Amino acid sequence: MKLNFDIELVTVVEFGVGIEDADGQSFVAIPVDADVQTALREMIADTWEQMQANDEGPARYEPSERHASTEYLYIPLNDELAASIRDLHEAANLPLDADALADPAEVFCYFVRLTDNKGRRLSALRRATQFKGVLRSRLVRFVADSLKLVEDRVFKLDTDFDLLVDSINVHILRPSAFEFAGNLQEAVLEAVPQNIALIRKDLDFVDFTGIEEYAGKHPRAARYLASIRSQKETKNIDRTALRKHCEATGVDVKLRNGKLTVADGHEMGFLEVLDRRRYELELVKNAPERFRAGSRQRIDT
Amino acid sequence: MSASTARPQGDGLRVARLLMVLSSVSPLFILWAIRGNSLIPDGYSIAFCALMVVLPNFFLGLRIRAARKLKDKRELTVGHAEDHRDHILVYLFAMLLPFYSEDLGSWRFFASSLAALAFIVFLFWHLNLHYMNLLFAALGFRVFTVHPPSDSNPLTGKATYALITRRVRLSPNERVVAYRLSDTVYLEVSE
Repeated sequence: MKLNFDIELVTVVEFGVGIEDADGQSFVAIPVDADVQTALREMIADTWEQMQANDEGPARYEPSERHASTEYLYIPLNDELAASIRDLHEAANLPLDADALADPAEVFCYFVRLTDNKGRRLSALRRATQFKGVLRSRLVRFVADSLKLVEDRVFKLDTDFDLLVDSINVHILRPSAFEFAGNLQEAVLEAVPQNIALIRKDLDFVDFTGIEEYAGKHPRAARYLASIRSQKETKNIDRTALRKHCEATGVDVKLRNGKLTVADGHEMGFLEVLDRRRYELELVKNAPERFRAGSRQRIDT
Repeated sequence: MSASTARPQGDGLRVARLLMVLSSVSPLFILWAIRGNSLIPDGYSIAFCALMVVLPNFFLGLRIRAARKLKDKRELTVGHAEDHRDHILVYLFAMLLPFYSEDLGSWRFFASSLAALAFIVFLFWHLNLHYMNLLFAALGFRVFTVHPPSDSNPLTGKATYALITRRVRLSPNERVVAYRLSDTVYLEVSE
């Protein structure tokens, strides 16, 4: 995958932080000098280099998958799950606040937005764990012929970013940071009614009332719904095949008024079936085994 | 990121802004130096006025130089822009001419003029009017008030900026890369 940006021909570097206080979250720009700008550009280059080390190319981010802590994934910028990141990437004239670091405890992330010579924008974001972590350390430096405590407040830039954003995709290096920065849990829970409505169009023979109620309270189920919807996994599903697979994998579904109804307590199982992560194998004759896949990938051969 | 951008717009670079205000009132000191007064000998009066002309403009030049050296620039997106050439006229008639015509013949008048000037300087500083500068106009720059675009993005800034540029007009959604002279004043120069 390519980056829709020229890292070598950067014209503007804008640094900023995300702040969470009693009023909610806000994002402000902070002026930085040329050396810090260079360091931030190097961080971006290092991040992109790490992403390029993945020979197979990135897989698409799926909210239902259990991803590794560092794994190159992508999600289209226009995807609903990327809404928060898209807002930050596309925001114009971010407010400037040179005093934003006055209370470091409120800083939850830092970011940089670059513009290249063609006017394209690249954003990068990192969780502010190490950034403010140094504040708790006692730093010393050698002055004249003795070590002295550094009284100034010092912040530490990391070596890379958690994610990069160009005009087409969000390139994710650390999925958990994307979920954190994108308030994903909140987003998928809010999207439950919308996702159910879209899935219901494909599966008009399923009664989703109980599932909608369950997913509204359980983030994992909400993630499955988001994944099922984004992967368009419900197109052309056969009613008989679905019912058969549910029975084979221990998901209790019943036919009521011409619709498949999922029994209480089996909502997650049903969503796992739709998300292709609940299956049965019978490698040993007459000894079928049922499995649930924490992670799965389509084999196209 | 259910973001709120309700944090107040910072008013950083206070000293730089003050010097820019002093730079904007420097033509008054030129007029006072030419006119002279009966209270202070010309030598002192002209030296003081010269200092008040040279120093703020020197610091303004330093600020522009520092902004360029530090690459202290931002990309501003234009919502809509207002050309404020007329502000220079208002400035001329509201400040320069009244002060110039002030009678400085007694210490009381002189002190009251200085106090009035201090109020004006404070108001210019407080109201971020430090972009009013005859020097910019003389060098062919125009001053635009840039309003932010009214998009649906909750993170888009709501503050207005003064943009000093040689452009004749600014179109909606045009993006301009400009150096930051203060948090509210930006200067676009060709590289």
